[in-house]
This record gives sequence, structure tokens and C-alpha cells, in this order.
Amino acid sequence: MNLETDILVIGGGSAGCMAAIVAKEQNPDVSVVIIEKGEISRSGSIAMGMDALNIVVQPGITSPELYMKSALIATEGILDYNPSNIMAERSYSMLKRLESWGIRFPRDEENKYISLQVHAKGNFLLEMDSPDLKLVLAEKVKEAGVRIINRTIITKLLANGERANGAMGFNIRSGEFVVCKAKVTILANGGCARFSLPNSGYLYGTFDYPGNAGDGYSLAYQAGAQLTGFEYTQCSPLIKDLNCPLLYITLTRGAEVVNALGETIDLEYVSTQNMLKELREGRGPIFIKMNHLPEERIREIERILFTTERPIQKKFWENRGVDFREGLIELGETEYQLCGGHGMTGIVVNEKAETTLKGLYAAGDVACVPFQHLTGAFVFGEVAAEEAVKFVNNKELSEVDQSMINDEEQRLHNIMDNNKNGSISVKDFEYKVRRTISDYAIPPKNDQKLKRFLWWLPRFREEMKSIRITDYHELSKFEEIQFILDCAELSVHASLARKESRWGWFHYRTDYPEKDDRNWLKHIVLKKGIKSGEVQTLLVPIKKGGKN
Amino acid sequence: MPLIVDVDLCTSCGECVERCPMDIIRLNNDGHPYKKYDECWYCGVCEEDCPEKALVLDIPFLVK
Ligand SMILES: Cc1cc2nc3c(=O)[nH]c(=O)nc-3n(C[C@H](O)[C@H](O)[C@H](O)COP(=O)(O)OP(=O)(O)OC[C@H]3O[C@@H](n4cnc5c(N)ncnc54)[C@H](O)[C@@H]3O)c2cc1C
Ligand code: SF4
Ligand code: SF4
Repeated sequence: MNLETDILVIGGGSAGCMAAIVAKEQNPDVSVVIIEKGEISRSGSIAMGMDALNIVVQPGITSPELYMKSALIATEGILDYNPSNIMAERSYSMLKRLESWGIRFPRDEENKYISLQVHAKGNFLLEMDSPDLKLVLAEKVKEAGVRIINRTIITKLLANGERANGAMGFNIRSGEFVVCKAKVTILANGGCARFSLPNSGYLYGTFDYPGNAGDGYSLAYQAGAQLTGFEYTQCSPLIKDLNCPLLYITLTRGAEVVNALGETIDLEYVSTQNMLKELREGRGPIFIKMNHLPEERIREIERILFTTERPIQKKFWENRGVDFREGLIELGETEYQLCGGHGMTGIVVNEKAETTLKGLYAAGDVACVPFQHLTGAFVFGEVAAEEAVKFVNNKELSEVDQSMINDEEQRLHNIMDNNKNGSISVKDFEYKVRRTISDYAIPPKNDQKLKRFLWWLPRFREEMKSIRITDYHELSKFEEIQFILDCAELSVHASLARKESRWGWFHYRTDYPEKDDRNWLKHIVLKKGIKSGEVQTLLVPIKKGGKN
Repeated sequence: MPLIVDVDLCTSCGECVERCPMDIIRLNNDGHPYKKYDECWYCGVCEEDCPEKALVLDIPFLVK
């Protein structure tokens, strides 16, 4: 399939759908294509809706300045001012946009939005009642006249080191090779959910949406864009084994977290690090306790948890025989992930969603706008679309080197041919890669340990020729393993470069146990070396703004 | 890790196949859905979007 378009959006999740809708709204004559690995009605993190919009600055109640103070604390100073500030400034109009589309934000008796404090400096989280959120977005995309190509994984960007001109991939059912030339490319394909191994041992039992395997990070890196925050390897305390969230919904309604000794854990603004510390220091298991809450509260909690976001919780608790009125809910540590929404990992972007590669924009979890969550995905989807529409204005499609297209098609053909009798299943291979990430690439870190991963890396890449591939679905898993390996390589290099400890456990180095603001208040930026092909590490100053 | 299908209700419409974000469901020779690949995120989309409510999702054994 050969496509040409003004704007190509890679990934039809939260950010990608928003970008496509807004691009058409800005100028209906601009052609927009979404290429999505799944099917846009339900693909991505918000498949079954979401129960909160985590950052909303309400005029007269909070302010962007207050949000920026919270963000500075959360990032421990590793924060560029402009992108996060723009997100905060535009968050309220985003809420209004969503409301106009029928998304409900509950209000209290005084007609105020129900908000919760999970940030250091204010109530920025607004409750949202939206099991249908993704269906609504997908409908808007279709109404806007966007061309949607489902079940197609992008495997390589069309780029010449300076400029992006579209992307290539294949249909994961039919194998059809897809080339899309574009004036502007927007990457909106999420973070890396499949990083270390979940404790359950189940590869796809991750907290974040496992369809996002770090594809966007790898694509951007291979095309020459800059990335940052890869040393921020994070996990969360969620429902043990199931890895589904319930903290905000329960804790903000009066639930407590207790440790094995029956002590209540101090949770400053739902600090997940305090909970993880209890586990690591041997005071686990830890539990959420709700048996002191009135029946009405429990029902409210059940209604939200069992209908929206991860409704599977209902079956899980039924099967385990746990009733919130009596039982304790055991929390466990999730796998480690890389994410620009929950964490600080992503493609370097400015306040216009521009990456360092001309014609390439990034929005959502794939971009580094620390802790932007769903708000950031939507706001930067909007921003990227506005900028993209300006960029396409009067431009012609650039010349694309045909040999690059031929090479990619040939590479995929070769894997199908050469790997059909391979001896290792994709599942076993991914298991070992991620187990090795668990062994060496996550905290506690040190020089020796991180370098052990670098010993394994070329072996894994070489051994991929022994993976058995019998259909295009498995070929897509093969490609995802390459993305995971690229992400691990980037993460290990960033972790080696930051010779200090920061962000509590998430970048704790036993050989540099102290935080060192004098030397390390800077970004670790990664880039592919043009000649060597090796990871290049740059130390980049923080871009301050406002009153800071 | 089965999908439990009520074969009297299932019309073989294929909606569950089309909606699964991970693309792991296929219809068997009798036209009923099964999980072809072991990559379920237990999101619940297949169960929710089946127009006949013919399908019940079971949680993967390792996390159950
Ligand atoms: C369980 C859970 C609960 C959450 N709760 C909240 C909350 O209450 N409040 C809040 O503000 N935030 C919350 N978040 C975070 C929020 O959902 C995300 O930050 C946001 O949805 C990210 O949007 P995105 O577009 O970047 O990624 P996604 O919506 O995940 O979309 C990425 C899309 O890209 C596609 N894709 C990936 N790779 C490729 C490829 N190679 N080719 C083509 N397509 C590809 C995927 O299939 C997917 O559809 C939660 C996240 C999760 C997982
Ligand atoms: S969606 Fe329901 S009725 Fe349709 S094939 Fe699937 S199980 Fe059968
Ligand atoms: S629960 Fe979700 S991932 Fe699992 S089979 Fe159903 S639709 Fe697919």
C-alpha cells in the first residue's frame, strides 16, 4: 500500500486521535492519515475509559505557577519550563472541549468539579466519569474524515537524518507492506510498557498498555531525534499480581495503606515511593484498608473501579474472595516501565511538540513532558496538530530515497524467510530479554551491573536470527523485541551517565548513593551517533522559565 | 486462558476479533472465538463489545 498525505499520525490512542481531530478542525482540506497497530475504537491506554484527568488548572482555584511548583518538586528540578507550563495553561480549555463532546466531569453539591490532591501544591486531579472515552474519540476521528489504517505496525520512519518524511510498516494480519509519505509526521505511539518482567511472570500483565513496547522511542532514535529521561526507571505499587491501579480512587476517599506490622504508612500526597520503601525494607506485605469506610463510600469506589479503566478488578476480587468491606487489598510492585506520561522518559520536545528532527512532532507518553498523563496526551495532541497544519502550508512532499523503502521491505521479507524454522519462540525470547532487564537495568543500579546488560545486548541481537516466525503477528512481536532492546540500551547508557542518585529509588546507584545538585541538575540526552551508530550521551542544561 | 463462549448466543459476527486491541482473537472452524495468541491484557473489550453478550473473559492463570 502506497499512501501520500499532508499529516501522518502514528498511533491512534489518546494523543493520536486528538491530533487527527484537531488537524481536521484547523483545516478540513489538509489530508490526515492515522496508522494504528490495533483498532482505534479500543486501542491504547484508555481502551476502557479513564476515571480522572490528572492535571487541570481551574481558573480562580489553582494556577499554572502552582502546577509548575509541584512539577519542579516531582521532577527534582530536571524540568524544562515551557512544555509543562503550556500544558497547565491549556488544561482547562481541554476539559471544556471534552465536556462539549459529552465526557462527564462530576460536580459536588456546590456545583464545583470534584478534585483531589495528588500533587504537592494543589488539587489538580479532576474526576472524570467516562467508560466510553475511547469510543467517543474514535467516532470524532471518523466524523472528521481522517483516513484510518488499522492493524498496521510502523517499523521505520522515512527520514534522512535531518528531516522526517513519513513512515513504513506492515499489516500484522496480511503482511501487506505499507509506505506513507507525509509532509509532517506526528509520533503518538506511547511509552515502553514491556520493560522489566512483572513479578507474576506473565509478559502481558503490565500496568501500562502492552501494545506500546517502546516503538516510538526506538523509531525516533533510529531516525536521529534526541531522547531524554531514560534513567528514570519507574514502577508503582498497584494491585498485586493483577497490576491494575486503584490508589487514587480509594486513598482519596478515606482508605489507608498499612504494612505487615499493622502500622499506617504516611502517604504525603499519595507518594508511591513511601509504599515501595516499606516493601523493600521488609515491612511488607502492604495493604489498602477500607473496612472503616461507610457502605455508601465503598459502593462508590466499587462503581468506579468495576466499570472504568480496568473493570477486570471485579472478577479478580470475586475470584480471590475479597470484599472491600472486610478484606485487605494487597499491593505489589509493578514491573519497571519507561513512560513520558507517568514518568520522565521520552523524545525531546519543545512547547510546540517539535522534536529535534524537522517535520517530526511527538505527543503523549512517547514525548518527555514529565508526568503529563492524559492531560498532556490531549493538550500536546492539540498542539502538535496546530503546528503541523501550519507546517504543511504550501509545502510539497519531499523527495524520498526509494532505496530506503526497498531495503525495509526486503528486511521484513528476509525475516519471514530466514526465521520460519527458528528454534526459539518469540515468547521465550522476550521473556529472557525482559528477565535480563530485570536482572541488570533497574534499581538498585551500579556501574558493574549496568554493564552486564551491555554484555548481553549484542548476544541478544545476534540470537534474534534463531527466533521462530511463522506469521505476521509473530513478525510484529519480533519487531517489538527490537524496540524493547533499543529502549534497554538507551536506558542503560543514561543510567551509566548519571553518576549520582536521584528520584528516590528510581535512579538509585549504590556506587553514587547521594543526590548531587551541584553537578547533575541537567538532562541526560541521548542520540544516535551518525558515523558510529553508537549511543551518544549529551549533558544538556535545564531550560528555565517563569520566575525560576 | 480461555474465552468462555455461549455457543447458543454467539452469532459468529466477529466483532470481538475486530475490537481486541492486541489482535489475539480468531474464530475457530465452528465460527466461535478463541485466543490464538497468549498476549491478553485482560482489558475486557471483547466481553464488553460483544453485541450478544455471548462471551465471558477469564483472567490469565498467572495473574488470577
Ligand atoms: C491503567 C491506566 C490508568 C491510567 N489512569 C490515568 C488517569 O486516571 N488519569 C490520567 O490523567 N492519566 C491516566 N493514565 C495515563 C494516560 O492514560 C496516558 O498517559 C495516555 O493515555 C497516553 O496517551 P498516548 O496517546 O501517548 O498513548 P496510548 O493512548 O496508549 O496510544 C498509543 C497508541 O499507539 C499505538 N502504537 C504503538 N506502537 C505502534 C506502532 N509501532 N505502529 C502503530 N501504532 C502503534 C498503540 O496501539 C496505541 O493505540 C493511565 C494509564 C493507564 C495505562
Ligand atoms: S462478538 Fe460475540 S457474537 Fe460476535 S463472534 Fe464474538 S462472541 Fe460471537
Ligand atoms: S481482554 Fe482485551 S486483550 Fe484480552 S482477548 Fe479480550 S479484547 Fe483482547
